[in-house]
Amino acid sequence: MFNVRLILKILGFLLIIEGFSMLVAMAVAFLYHGPDGMTLLQTASVCMVTGGIAVSLTRKAGKTISKNDGFLIVSLVWIIFSFFGSLPFLIDGSIPTITDAFFETMSGFTTTGASILNDIEALPHGLLFWRSMTQWLGGMGIIVLSLAVLPVFGIGGMQLFAAEVPGPVTDKLNPKISQTAKNLWAIYILFTAMETILLWAGGMDLFDAVNHSFTTMATGGYSTKQASVAYWDSPYIHYVITLFMFIAGANFTLTYSALTGKFERVYKDEEFKYYVLFAAVFTVVIFGGLLTTTELQAEHALRDALFQVVSVMTTTGYATTDYMVWTPILTYVLFALFFFGGCAGSTGGGIKIMRIVVLLKNSYYELRRILHSSAVIPVRLNRRAVSDQIITNVLAFFMIYLLIFFISSIALTIVEPDLESAMGAVATSLGNIGPGLGDFGPAFNFYELHPAGKWLLAFLMLLGRLELFTVLVLFAPAFWKK
Amino acid sequence: MKPFSKASKKEKFTWILLFLSFTLFLLTSIDRQDRMRVVIVGAGEVGTHLAKMLSNEDHDIVLMDDDTEKLRKLTGQVDLLTVTGYATSFRDLKETGISKADLFIAVTPYEERNIMACILARDLGALRTVARINNGEYLLDKCKEKLRNLGVDELIYPESLAGKEIASSVKQVGTRQLIEFSGGKLILMGIKIRENAPILNKQFEELAQIETELRAVAINRASSTIIPHGKDYVRNGDIVFFFATRAYQNRIFELTGKEIFPVRNIMILGGSRIAQKTIERLGDHYNIKVIESDKARSQEIADRFENVLVINGDGRNLDLLKEERIERMDAFVAVTGNSETNILSCHMAKKLGIKRTVAEVENIDFMGIAESMDIGSLINKKLIAASYIYKYTLGAEVAQAKCLTASDAEVFEFIAKEGSKITNMTLRDLSLPTDITIGGIIRGTNAYIAKGDTLIQPGDKVVVFALPSAIRKLEKYFK
Repeated sequence: MFNVRLILKILGFLLIIEGFSMLVAMAVAFLYHGPDGMTLLQTASVCMVTGGIAVSLTRKAGKTISKNDGFLIVSLVWIIFSFFGSLPFLIDGSIPTITDAFFETMSGFTTTGASILNDIEALPHGLLFWRSMTQWLGGMGIIVLSLAVLPVFGIGGMQLFAAEVPGPVTDKLNPKISQTAKNLWAIYILFTAMETILLWAGGMDLFDAVNHSFTTMATGGYSTKQASVAYWDSPYIHYVITLFMFIAGANFTLTYSALTGKFERVYKDEEFKYYVLFAAVFTVVIFGGLLTTTELQAEHALRDALFQVVSVMTTTGYATTDYMVWTPILTYVLFALFFFGGCAGSTGGGIKIMRIVVLLKNSYYELRRILHSSAVIPVRLNRRAVSDQIITNVLAFFMIYLLIFFISSIALTIVEPDLESAMGAVATSLGNIGPGLGDFGPAFNFYELHPAGKWLLAFLMLLGRLELFTVLVLFAPAFWKK
Repeated sequence: MKPFSKASKKEKFTWILLFLSFTLFLLTSIDRQDRMRVVIVGAGEVGTHLAKMLSNEDHDIVLMDDDTEKLRKLTGQVDLLTVTGYATSFRDLKETGISKADLFIAVTPYEERNIMACILARDLGALRTVARINNGEYLLDKCKEKLRNLGVDELIYPESLAGKEIASSVKQVGTRQLIEFSGGKLILMGIKIRENAPILNKQFEELAQIETELRAVAINRASSTIIPHGKDYVRNGDIVFFFATRAYQNRIFELTGKEIFPVRNIMILGGSRIAQKTIERLGDHYNIKVIESDKARSQEIADRFENVLVINGDGRNLDLLKEERIERMDAFVAVTGNSETNILSCHMAKKLGIKRTVAEVENIDFMGIAESMDIGSLINKKLIAASYIYKYTLGAEVAQAKCLTASDAEVFEFIAKEGSKITNMTLRDLSLPTDITIGGIIRGTNAYIAKGDTLIQPGDKVVVFALPSAIRKLEKYFK
């Protein structure tokens, strides 16, 4: 039924890629004379040897990947990557338990950014960099990376790409999937490098600048400091990071158009318009709220409001201030943003702006449909009617998203009796954001959570990153039937 | 805070190196530059088949159609870019990146739309345009010239091509497929081996030693095409492909135990456009009966072709066929629009003792099954049209490209260029990949079968047999 050999082979190749990335982290460890270089070398060899064995055992694998194979491969890859990716923390001893190490790495690859570390600064440079690297790789996507650098997938690449980048409408930059992946990674690297330079110019250490650029462009949110971005009391740094979070949360295809001079596409894009609109409206509301309820200066209030709104909306999850100390109404307005997410085709998670727009439009038109019972009123997006199939898909997505949110929140109260904290933790994991509410707010972390809760949240992160369906179909009985 | 905080040279160097190596890593896997950008308009059967085929060859394919559903089904399966839009809209054509297109193919069902699309495409910068037509008149040289001036470079008329193919295969008794090169100087014949064939259970090595003027290049066994080794045996049920010069054609029939008989009486099932084209091609030397169920169409055919007897009736009716003396026919051609009907009626005709049957099978998934059902030659107008268009993607050196029915293998006629790799040494020393076989060469007015000591000269036409895995490698030898 499944092309088991091919699945093994692809997983093997991907593990070798992970091994290579660990070697990069190892180079960083040696650069800063950390004690973790050898650890990373060991784990890199483990990855490469395991991958190498898998590849060499499956030389004569058939070439076709079915749709089902695609779902299975992509879901497995993310789990396996997180497992092997957690080895450096485990072996080094910085994170002693499997549960915590797996949680931290899954949170990394899925670009959630929820941490269990109580003293981030104590980690050696190599491991810190590996932690940022997991986000950077996971941000653009493991499959997208391998499509860019490995020609092995052939036609099957389409199935894998569709399973990892599921969005309601996928657009390609180029007829060839491998070329599309290359273009995406090229933009990604370019912006990461630009941000690094800007942050470094603003007074950050070079090492911190690189790490923050990695996790900003991935909309991940891991910081090298316990206090997150609040550690730097510099408006310049806050604005630079806000700008790049905003870019990372926008559709990369649009960014590519802008880079190639087609600005018309950008300002005509409806999703982008709403993206800007939502960010602006929420910023104004919170800015107003902060001005009236706190003693903050106007500039500072605006900066805090803008930073937190963009950080949550793009699902990055950095903090320059603790939003739990705000007047409750402001905290909950921000909590509403937990359910928005970035644009389709960005590195952001969540429900995605495009789905929100389709949902809102469809609900509003439903009113008009009731008034004009025989009118034909299609949902239009970018001046084209959205097909019924996409609308049903979006409705189902939203329904499942909410269902998972409620069931998991209630389930989490078994180990975390405070409902507010439980809901925040679930929403932040499912949306790949990072900080939650209450006990898991920006000032705290997930260290105290019961292991069972950690495994649940790690699973939710994976669900959220692969946009539910890719993972959920594995639980449909029809998937396993011959 | 101080801008550009202190960092050691080593630190700066390492980070710059890191970013550079990421970029380089991407660059190392940069794509080949010789890829063509092909824009196909019309996601019908021909368009879809072409898109799949060319995408597998690693070309950049953009497929456009006005039906989003048709495109959506393809995007998950084939590596291509789809654009929803109208073939005759400037704005939609621009969306496909047509200004950079090397080849523009318009294969919507509507002739006017295709021609109009080609004219627009040329205007927008497409290098070469191909339009599918339904009107044979345009193929006249005078009309072609006029269309070319408008911007339509090539015309493709699938029904006419299929008619040509059927007519030639009806005439060729005993062969499954016959492809002629350079006006018939060199031929490729696919012949089904049955129990009475003298070469049955012989090794290909032996065959090559006895018959130096023939070359068996490939066999089709159990629905897959393989290039045989010297030690392989000819088995019952194989379709063996031979290259030979025209003079040795009869020798092949002897070796394979085929009896040659003159074809006089032909029955054609269905009065489709392909049937009409076939009748045109066959000319007046045959007794042709056409069975067509549609009254108006029967009338139309009767009006058009004086010498053809048109029977208005259902071709699936055995009594009707018997009444029309089907057993007396030398050949039976089934070209109704329905592949199942064609397959079954040809099967029935074979049972009734008709030696030559040709079935039109449009459903590509059926081809494999039909091949194993013993129903004679198969015709698929999509494959024919696609391989006809396919040669435009191979550059100017290719004079002809043909796809073998019921297998993916292709036969090409290349013109060897001055200084190309293939002219450097004898075939034996070239050590070509195993999935490529050179069948023969045509030098001036003479044709030769390729042998180990053959040395190809510039200007020779070289006929090459290649499995799909090898098509890319071919260009290397001829450039």
